[in-house]
This record gives sequence, C-alpha cells and structure tokens, in this order.
Amino acid sequence: MSTLKPWIKRLNPLVESLMAGLIGLVIGALIMLAFGYNPIAAYISLFSGSFGSVYSWAESLANATPLILTAMTFAIAMRGGLFNIGAEGQLYIGALAAVAVSLIDLPFPLNAVAALGAAIVAGMLWSLPVALLKLTRGVHEVISTIMLNWIAHFFAFYLIANVLTDPKRGEKTISIIESARLARILPGTSLNYGLVIALIAVAAILFLLWRTSAGFEMRASGYNQEATHYAGISLRKQVLRVFLIGGAIAGLAGAVQVMGRPPTYAVMSGLPQLMNLGFDGIGVAMIGRNHPVGIVFAAIFFGGLMVGGRIMQFSPGVPLELVRVVEGVIIITLAIPELRRLFTFFLAKFKRGA
Amino acid sequence: MTDQMGISPPPTARSEILLEARGISKGFPGVWEHLILEHIDFDVRAGEVHTLLGENGAGKTVIANILSGYYGKTDGEILVKGQPVTLESPRDGLAHGIAMVHQELMLVPAFTVAENVMVGLNAPGLSFRKQAVEQQLDDLVAHYGLQVDPRVRVEDLSAGEQQRVEILKVLFHQPEVLLLDEPTSLLTPQEADQLFKVLRAMTDEGKGIVFISHKMHEVFAVSDRVTVLKLGKARGTMPISQTNEDDLTRKTFGETVPDYMERPAVEFTENAIEVDRLIPKGLEKKAPASGLSFALHKGEILGLAGVAGNGQSELIASITGLSGVSSGTVTILGEEMTNRTPRAFIEKGVAHIPERRREMGIIEQMFVAENVALKDYRKTPFSRHTILNREEITRHAEEIVSRFNALVPDLWETECRILSGGNIQRLILGRETWREPPVIIASHPTEGLDAKAIRHTWELFLALRAKGSAILLISEDLDEVMSLSDRIGVIFEGGIVGVVEGENANREQLGHWMAGGKISAAA
Repeated sequence: MSTLKPWIKRLNPLVESLMAGLIGLVIGALIMLAFGYNPIAAYISLFSGSFGSVYSWAESLANATPLILTAMTFAIAMRGGLFNIGAEGQLYIGALAAVAVSLIDLPFPLNAVAALGAAIVAGMLWSLPVALLKLTRGVHEVISTIMLNWIAHFFAFYLIANVLTDPKRGEKTISIIESARLARILPGTSLNYGLVIALIAVAAILFLLWRTSAGFEMRASGYNQEATHYAGISLRKQVLRVFLIGGAIAGLAGAVQVMGRPPTYAVMSGLPQLMNLGFDGIGVAMIGRNHPVGIVFAAIFFGGLMVGGRIMQFSPGVPLELVRVVEGVIIITLAIPELRRLFTFFLAKFKRGA
Repeated sequence: MTDQMGISPPPTARSEILLEARGISKGFPGVWEHLILEHIDFDVRAGEVHTLLGENGAGKTVIANILSGYYGKTDGEILVKGQPVTLESPRDGLAHGIAMVHQELMLVPAFTVAENVMVGLNAPGLSFRKQAVEQQLDDLVAHYGLQVDPRVRVEDLSAGEQQRVEILKVLFHQPEVLLLDEPTSLLTPQEADQLFKVLRAMTDEGKGIVFISHKMHEVFAVSDRVTVLKLGKARGTMPISQTNEDDLTRKTFGETVPDYMERPAVEFTENAIEVDRLIPKGLEKKAPASGLSFALHKGEILGLAGVAGNGQSELIASITGLSGVSSGTVTILGEEMTNRTPRAFIEKGVAHIPERRREMGIIEQMFVAENVALKDYRKTPFSRHTILNREEITRHAEEIVSRFNALVPDLWETECRILSGGNIQRLILGRETWREPPVIIASHPTEGLDAKAIRHTWELFLALRAKGSAILLISEDLDEVMSLSDRIGVIFEGGIVGVVEGENANREQLGHWMAGGKISAAA
C-alpha cells in the first residue's frame, strides 16, 4: 500500500465509488428480476435517458445544479464537524427571497444580482438561529435545523398564498421578471446558467476550505476540537462560519432553481420544484465524500437518475415505485463508504461525550 | 510471608521454567511493514522477577500482551511448564495461570474494589457472592500486604491504591505468572518500594514475575534477571548480579543521558510567569484554600514534579488559556492574563508542549505541513489577507522536519495519524520552539524519544534558557526533572508542597513531597 503513487491514492475513492455503484446496479437488477422485469432493458433506458443524448445530458445537468449547492451546505458543515440538515428550509427561503426582489423594478443586471444576493442573505439569516441556539443554549443543530425546515415550509406556504401571490393565478407566486431570469445554455432544455453559478460556488468553496486561513480553521475544528482550541482557534467562530456559509449556499440553490428553471420562474404552491432538494443534497454530499469536486460528479449522477428514472418508467414499463427502489439501492450502496465514516465520526464524538 | 523484606536467595537456574517464549515475532498490518518484535526468546522461572527493560517503543508491552493472550503472534511458540499452548484470549492466559496488569488503570470508578474484581470474573448470574469475594480479597490483602479495603469505592482511592486494586484483580485468579507493565508509572518512589516488597512476597511462594520498566534504578531494586529490548530485538538476558547500570544503560539506550546538565549562570531577573494564589477550574474541591503560587523568571527552568492527577493538567490549562481560573491570578511577562483565551497566550509568546500529544498537540487527520503551521498559519508570511501561502508553509515545514530529524514521508501527503509518537513529538517541539518563545510550558517533552533525541531536546532547552526563555517543565519522570531544572517544585493536590534548588535535589526528598509531605504509608 505504501508504495502506491500519490495520484493513485487520490483515485481510491473513485474506484471505491464505482465498485459501490456497480454493486448497487446488481442488487437493483436482482430486484427487477424478482418482479419479472428485464433489468438490461431497464438499465439501457435509464442510462440512455439520463446520459444518452445532448438533450438528456442537459436535463441531467439541470437537475444537478441545485443539488451541487445543497450538497455543499451539508459538506461544509461535515468538514467543520457539524451536521447541518437545514439546507431544505434555507432553500425555500432563498427561492422566495429571489422572487420577492421582482416586486421592485430594477434594471438588468442589477435585478438578477439583487435576487441572487437577497437569496444568499435570506439563507444566511435562516441559518443564523441554528448557530446562535447552539452557541448560547447548546441546542443540537439537528434539532434546530429540522424545526427551522418546518417553519420555512409553512412560512413558504403563507408567502405563496398571501404575500407574493400571483394576482392572476393563486396557486403560485409572481414570476421572476423576465430580464432577471438566468438564460438557458441550451435552448429547448432546462439547462441554464445556474450551473455556471453553481460551479463558481464550487471553486469558491474549494479555495475557501483549502487555501484560506478560515478554511484551515474550519477543517481543524471538524477534525479535532481539543487541538483546535489548543492552537488558539475559536471554536465558536467556526460554528457561526459553517452555518452562515452553508445558509448562503443553500439560499443560492433556491434562487438558482427559481430564476433558472423553466417554465414558471415562480414558486408553486406545494413547493414541487424545491421539495427535497435540500435532503437529496445530503445523499449527494455523501456520495461525493463531502468534497466539492466529488459533489459535482455525484450531483450529475443523481440528476441523471432523476431524468433516466422517468424514461425507465415509460419504455420498459417498470413501475415508478420500483424505479424509486432501484434508485434508492444504488444511492445507498454509493453512500455506504461515507456512511461508515459518518458513523465512526459520531461514535467517536459520542465517546468523547460531545 | 511479608515480614521477610530482605533480599531473598536468587532462584537457581534449576528452578522450574513457568512460561517460555520461543522465537516470538510480531508484525502489525498496515503502514509499518517491519516486525514489531523479531524472534524473541524469553522465559520466566518460578520464584524470580525477570525484568523487560527497554525504551518506549522497544516492544516490551507487546511481548507481555502476547504472553498473556491479549495479542496474537505472527510467529513463534509459547510454552507453559514445557508444554506448548495456544493463547487466543486473556481468558486462555488466565486458564494457564498467566495474568497481566496493564499500565493504564482499567477500573470502574463507581464500583467498590470487590465489585471491580467481580466484573473481571465474568461469572454467570449470582454464582459469586459479594461477601465471599470480599472475604477472599481480605485474605489476599493480608497475605501480600497490599493494603486495600475491598469495600471502598475505587473513585475514593489514590492512584497508587488503584494500582494495587489492579494487582488484586489478577491475583484473585491465583496466577502462577504475573506480568506487570510499567506498574510504577503512577506511584511515588515510596509506593514503588512498597510494591516491590509485594512482588518479593509473591516470588517467595514460587510465582514468576515479569516486570516491565524503562527506569534503571527500579530494575536494580527488584530484578533477578533482566532482558534488554531494543527496537523489537532482544539484546541479551543476564542475571542482575552480572551487570551494572552503565552497561544496561548502554544496551538500552545506546547512549547515556547525564544526571545533571551543566549550564551557565543566567542573569535575568524579570519574571516570566507569576502565578498567585491560583485555583484552576476543576480543582476547587481539591486545592488548598491558599491555592498555588510560584514565579519563574526569564532564563530559568522550573521543574514541576508530582504524581499524575495532582492538578498538573489544570495548572497548565490555566496558564495557557485552555480553561478558566476559579480564583487567583496568572501574570505573563508583566501582563495579567487570567482567564484570557488560548490565542492571547500564544500571541503573548507562551509555547505549550502538551502531554497528550496525539489528542491535543496535533490534528491527526491533517497533513504534516499543516500541523507544523498549526499555530503560525495566520501570520505572515504563511498567510496574507487570510490566503494561505503554501510555498512558505512548505519551506517552513521542511526546515522544522530536517532540524528536528523527524521521519516524515511527505509534507502534503502524509497525515500525522500514521507517524510514531516520537516523530509527532519532534514536530511539536519544532513548532513550539522555533520562534524562541519567551515562555515554554513543556509537559513530558521527551517521552517516547530515544536517548539521542532526549539529549538534543535538553540541549535545545538549555540553549533557549540561555537566550532568556523561561521553561516550566512538568514531568512525572524525576530523572528528567532533576537533570534539567534550575529549581524543582513538587505539586500535590493542587498546591506546591516544596521547592528545592535543582543541584541539591534528591530523590527521597522529592518522593516524600510527592506523597504530600506525609510520611509514606510504607512499612
């Protein structure tokens, strides 16, 4: 092992993931066989549907865009030793903040920038109580993020129905004004410049975590609080940082989704185009090993499954429920290596009495 | 029985071999591909104390763990009274009459002594009655002079008494061979002497004892034979009467370390650390009302001896900002720093070489270069406007690694996790001293280092002292404290019980203080 070249060592996680994915596909195939469907035909339609054409690539990438961002919210927290599952709520609030900016008449590009900015600030504000509750009252972030997710959920319903309501259609908010929408990269598809924004965010987080002193401090506190304290690094500051940055990115995810994803450019009642993006981001982050670059690939894969799953349902006739089961099996096998790490992480934390 | 305190007749070569290891080898899987133990032959006879002597990392504990069934072996044979045996668990060891007392205490604090013994029995249901166990323990206590009340809760016992409980725990199984891994590390010198008498009482009735140590004077106090281990190889077995301290030291360490490091007089008068009536958090109940006071001027090394758990870590935490102060003041270089943050102490120039090096001194999952920069990354040239300068960090880490002879495969590929304790300590020493800080708090700075590295570290400390650094040296190792200190203080239950000039210090006086200034319970 020790003779392995460093670059091969870096590929190890990739090989591990590919193997895990393969195992997942095999188990999925067995399940489909058991229910009398042809797994080969199903997988062909799954992968041709997700990555078989320019169009399907574009749809997969469009689906990946918000997941890249919500996954990073989770990943940054994990790097800092915290368990932030609040992206879901922050995403709702971010999307609604972006919509709210359309109430004001601003010229392009000011309106787009203002909408993105408002979503980032809103995401941070929605995340702030989590950090404050933890720092002042010792409330565990899992509890407070779950509670804030539900508050965001119903607050969003209220805003859609009463404040940001489209005067012509009561089941949705007003739409983002046309000039502030994110242009499509490929006409006729859902793929828009939100992807570019997400990739810029990936680069920014990469730089932040590994090339700045703030990232150094966050990672240090995630690995070993005692040594971090000893090194003169404020642990409280890292909690604040982790949640504010995470909230900002989750808010941005909401904005990108509502500003870039055709056709409505509005938040629909029931939140169909936002629902679960925050939670799916957790899975994406785990498959991507909480690393921004890994997350990009994992999100594309995840986005592809979303698109291909629909095709798999239509052509070989695998029922939607079974498609979901097969997808779930693949995702879980992919996440197992990271789940194992997560488990040992919390076990160690528990043993230390934290 | 125990009234025979003198030296018992040495067991003859004819007495029965109770336990024998033939060609034992051990390799641990993973990054270290070399063997931890290489073809070790070792035996212990009835009625003798056979000492395993060696530095940290020589493999003493590993041998004991293999002989008692805790570890498997890679190669070789174990024989009990001439019969080959397979030991797959400590239970197998006990079944063959082999018991081990580990270096760390493994007791349930909330249980009484008898209950702790019963935990180890792993007996079904109610098959052991507590009174019966207590009665048996009373007998053992009387028989060996171990002086522990089986009905007392372990948390109310001193470290020395807890050590005795560990021994009682294994004696309960009536072993024929007892392996003791550094049993004196938590004891005062007087308590250690007392332990040696207990061991002698055991050999007098024909038990064989394997005693593990790295302290030379103990080896001569207790052994009949000694086997020297170095880097996993046996460097010879000899009766203690046929060797002497110089010879053993050379075999063990390869080089000797001096009893007292000569140093020039230093003319500094300014106080570097002043601690006045300090009661650190967590010591409110234990500490004397007057707290703890001492002053240390620039260019001085103050050794602080004491048995572990007497407030050393709380004291260190309060003069480095790691945790708060309940009352009293801490003044560093003339500025009152009571209850300031660790960052403030670092900025003031207080370096800290922590005892728990893996847990506190480094971040195991981070790379070597990052760990070397752990306290400097935020300063120029290592970062500018919060952006890290990897080139500068790399250059600096290379310099520290080469100056302190740390064995490190790669600065940006090697996680500190895989380094040995000695190499980690070299990195920490480098990181904490390269700026020549005015104040150094060093806790067990040379533990785990070989003799050459110990000497280098001591010379480094003396060089820093000459430049005006004040060094507070906290150690349980009296040898180190006595070699290095200008003055020696002894800490006991959160207070300083005595201070003496380093040159005039003697082991007995210090040991007396370490036990709280009371006459030791021995004899």
